[in-house]
Amino acid sequence: MRLSALLALASKVTLPPHYRHGMSRPGTMAAKRRNPPGSRRPPVVVEPISDEDWHLFCGDRVEILEGKDAGKQGKVVQVIRERNWVVLEGLNTHYRYIGRTADFRGTMIPSEAPLLHNQVKLVDPVDRKPTEVEWRFTEAGERVRVSTRSGRIIPKPEFPRADGIIPETWIDGPKDTSVEDALERTYVPRLKTLEEEVMEAMGIQETRRHKKVYWY
Amino acid sequence: MGLLGAAARCVVRGADRMSKWTSKRGPRTFYKSRGAKGTGYLVRGGKFLLVKEQVPELVVPDLTGFKLKPYVNYRAPAGTDTPLTAEQLFREAVAPAIEKDFRAGTFDPERLEKYGFEPTQEGKLFQLYPKNFPR
Repeated sequence: MRLSALLALASKVTLPPHYRHGMSRPGTMAAKRRNPPGSRRPPVVVEPISDEDWHLFCGDRVEILEGKDAGKQGKVVQVIRERNWVVLEGLNTHYRYIGRTADFRGTMIPSEAPLLHNQVKLVDPVDRKPTEVEWRFTEAGERVRVSTRSGRIIPKPEFPRADGIIPETWIDGPKDTSVEDALERTYVPRLKTLEEEVMEAMGIQETRRHKKVYWY
Repeated sequence: MGLLGAAARCVVRGADRMSKWTSKRGPRTFYKSRGAKGTGYLVRGGKFLLVKEQVPELVVPDLTGFKLKPYVNYRAPAGTDTPLTAEQLFREAVAPAIEKDFRAGTFDPERLEKYGFEPTQEGKLFQLYPKNFPR
């Protein structure tokens, strides 16, 4: 492999085997500092949970079962699936200094530590107690999380988009199709190909035909 | 490739075997096209004869009063239509006419051309099989 191929493959991310995922996204400066290329650490044991069985999403209200902040409820802010981690807002924090320079000691901020999926439990929305959750289907055929203790459905929470856009308050620009125009159904299925329909609509007459071609 | 890192970028001996073989490489006698289609042919005297049928012509309809724009509002939900299948096309375009004639008693299985059946693709500009248009 040569330099050109190396640069071409830079867009697709290939992590070394047994890459230890941390709180930083792989590719960022912090992650490169923690896992420099060529570093080989013993692999961590992660329970394999399929995408269908995973029940914790950003914006959920969960309660911590063990640890420093056991018994407290908080909102999930980040989910790291590679290690089955869940980061709650402002809970399970330790303190560190940020913005340190040569002569300034830096500002102390609380930074959240991640929790494993079995150290937190989803909170029932009505009685606000932690419950075990199962994936079940509704009458309409929708797959929802149902608390096993009370049978209530826990809806998927709203979490703000990363680009900061709120779809309900979006105002159409000059290049935006409105919702009614986008959902309008104007297609009438006919037995003509697209090219024949276009010729018919624009009034193009074509009487020449291709010469017959044979191949063997 | 695992040995080459961002910090340790040393020159390894040998030609580049992995990049694409293009017309920019090789000796000056090497000719390779980059994919442009021809539009005619050379005739006697060194002249080039343009064939109008080989030159692509864009057919653009008049878009006054056209309501669809390049982007869509964020509020629009995902559509519920499934891709069109042959059975669905038959059911919507041809089946009503056949049913009407059958109930009226004038359905003739020998004369299906009036419902759009084409016994042969000869004589058509856009033949379906073998497909003679690029789309």
